[in-house]
Amino acid sequence: MAIRQGGLERKSKASQEIPSSSLADIAFLLLIFFMVTTVFRTDSDRDIDWPEAQATERIDEKKKNILNIWVERDGSIYMNDQPFTMEQVSDVVAPLYAASDRALVISIRGDREVPYRIIDQMQKELVSAGVVRVVFATDLEQRLQTQRR
Amino acid sequence: MAILNNRKSKVSDEIPSSSMADIAFLLLIFFLVTTVFPRDKGLSIVLPEEQEEIEVSQRNILHLLIQPTGAVIVRYGENEGEQTVTAAEVEGIWRQGIAQNENLIAAVKTHPNAPYRYMVDVLDALKTAGSTRISLQILEE
Repeated sequence: MAIRQGGLERKSKASQEIPSSSLADIAFLLLIFFMVTTVFRTDSDRDIDWPEAQATERIDEKKKNILNIWVERDGSIYMNDQPFTMEQVSDVVAPLYAASDRALVISIRGDREVPYRIIDQMQKELVSAGVVRVVFATDLEQRLQTQRR
Repeated sequence: MAILNNRKSKVSDEIPSSSMADIAFLLLIFFLVTTVFPRDKGLSIVLPEEQEEIEVSQRNILHLLIQPTGAVIVRYGENEGEQTVTAAEVEGIWRQGIAQNENLIAAVKTHPNAPYRYMVDVLDALKTAGSTRISLQILEE
């Protein structure tokens, strides 16, 4: 009896390995999260300095109904990674607006230092294309920064 | 030889699942790398439709003239008096104005050479103060 029970050779009941059976479950959980939240980019971000605003709010519209118009510091305009001139904007936007059943939202992503003249021309182009809903894309401004200013 | 028949087959009757975690992680890394969280946020505004012009009484207009320096000149409709303020002070001015006249409209007129961010600052102040009737124009030189 002593040999059987008190033997040093008997293995401990607790496993020496880290349990890895739930690893796949964790991986799948994360996988599903990223699959659901992923939106494949339609256009690449351009290098602009964002204007900041406290009243920044989320755009309440489907991703496919948002068209980004980038305005760089030198006034050059980009849509879907293509450069455009100011005169072309309404010709490009008007058919897209009609195709979206008048649900299209234009997000003007202007550099903070771009002269207002260009933004004003952009608005006139959009009005002539019939667009109504426009968003000036901004970064959320933190309260502390405002107090320091 | 009869003993051999009792031995279990070496081929497992289960689908091998040891590589499942590898496959999941591979897909996981793919989605981690390709994910871009949308940054669709900003200050929304509704543009007027073409040829849509509304006559507004001068006394219902709060003129906000944004200068290239970022200073804002405030003028109430018919009054000749002007005051120069910063963009942050526009919030208080709007709150005062709307308390006196609930039909007030903010006419934001920006100098063509003023940086875009000064207009955003004023728009931000108006939005923060709860203003919905905003007109964006360019300041005629």
